[in-house]
Amino acid sequence: MFKKTPLAAGIAAVATIIFAGGCAVADAGKNGKVDYTAMTPHELAEYLIFEANGGGFNLAQEMQEGGTARDRMKQDELQKACSIIGDGKPDAETLEAVRQAATESIVYPEGGIQLGDWERGRVLAWSGFGYRVGHNYDDHNVREVGGTCYNCHQFATDRVGGNVGPSLTGYGKTRGTSEPILKYVYDMIYNPHTYFPCTHMPRFGSSGFLDKQAIADIMAYMFDPESPVNE
Amino acid sequence: MLKKALLAIPVALALGATAHAEKPPEEVLQGLIDSIDSRYLTQSEMNLMMMPDNPALWVGMDGEDLFHTPRGPNNVSMEACDFGKGPGVLEGAYVEMPRYFDDTGKVMDLETRIVHCMTEVQGFAADDPAVRQRHGSGSDHMKIQTYIAMQSNGMEWNNPLDHPLEKAMRDAGQVLFARRAGMSDFNCYACHGQSGKQVRASVLPNANVPEDWTKAISWPAHRVGHDNVRSSQHRVRGCYYQMRQAGMLAGSDASIALISYWTDMARGQPAILPDMKR
Repeated sequence: MFKKTPLAAGIAAVATIIFAGGCAVADAGKNGKVDYTAMTPHELAEYLIFEANGGGFNLAQEMQEGGTARDRMKQDELQKACSIIGDGKPDAETLEAVRQAATESIVYPEGGIQLGDWERGRVLAWSGFGYRVGHNYDDHNVREVGGTCYNCHQFATDRVGGNVGPSLTGYGKTRGTSEPILKYVYDMIYNPHTYFPCTHMPRFGSSGFLDKQAIADIMAYMFDPESPVNE
Repeated sequence: MLKKALLAIPVALALGATAHAEKPPEEVLQGLIDSIDSRYLTQSEMNLMMMPDNPALWVGMDGEDLFHTPRGPNNVSMEACDFGKGPGVLEGAYVEMPRYFDDTGKVMDLETRIVHCMTEVQGFAADDPAVRQRHGSGSDHMKIQTYIAMQSNGMEWNNPLDHPLEKAMRDAGQVLFARRAGMSDFNCYACHGQSGKQVRASVLPNANVPEDWTKAISWPAHRVGHDNVRSSQHRVRGCYYQMRQAGMLAGSDASIALISYWTDMARGQPAILPDMKR
């Protein structure tokens, strides 16, 4: 993901050393017993997730997107770069690398950004279903994947939304539907790190969480003059 | 209301007999509310009113019976088990967990220590329902956990970090707290790094505010929305579930590391046991 920058190579190299180091320590414990205290906190955290007693999670479970939980727990470059103890930001160079990679990840629909069906978008924006695993697996054949948008945002005021992210009430009414604002919202849903590197908002497009139709419908919910968001 | 209050009196008398329990959980919480301006602590007026009648109090009473009754193939009670302060000593034991236990060479939280007691001391098989069933107010686990935890009500969280393993687990837990992964890129800070934030209608506790955080980690608690008493392990599992990360395994060292860190974050604040949550 960051392969184009020397910095990213550095991050990757460090990550490789940490991981290799963790394994070496784990294998070389005295009496065949793994010594947690010989590892750095990062090495131990990785060991506890992936190795200790077969792993701290149900790693063999198959995921909705394919692969196993083991794959899902592996961090990509962005997740590594943005995992900061204390919830601070990485240095400016890393942030710029995150931002640049995010921008490059965004794929636009053929024929440009179009608004879809706001009524379906309203359902999707409300739904918290999708991609949960473990003890109560979200079966995507039974129900379609939602956007979990209301978890963090307020939209139309007929339902209570969260405030982890900004309120989006009246979004289209106050901003119009010009090409730049549609692109901005599409980018924010697809990969918000292009504007806010290391934001807590998920990358709904880049991760494959939402497909293009779902993004178009949720955007319609935000922009359509008929949508209750714009009452 | 009066009838309910009268019903609660015998429970308070039966369970409030220890020296440190002179302040019932609702007064411990009120002390925190008086000390800080927090939307999280005050979000449910109904729960505050209901706390003297917390259903978890009854679950804890059942746990008292289970704890002191000889059980299992070895026909011994849990009084023979050491929860960190000597066999059968429960007062203040829970607020000093997770901790290192010499007999296992491991850092253990309350739930894994109860499993150890059931299997090693009482002789239950690992797949016996008493051991295996971890969740729900009707489970032996929740009854016993609630009873043991209540003997730490009002006492300050103070999990020891003197042993190198305790420190290692706490530090790894700090890394896990910040570690982003999964379909949503979330870590624990996504929900617990700021004050006054809410997911849908629920106001979230801020891990950086110890007065908030002590309530957040005060499990067992009766979770009103689930109509069941829930544990720390249940909470951690639920967080990983909502974060779209992998399914956490009950009692894994990863879960104990995280609980070691989250307990450290509430250090010095009084525990609310049992608590009542949305």
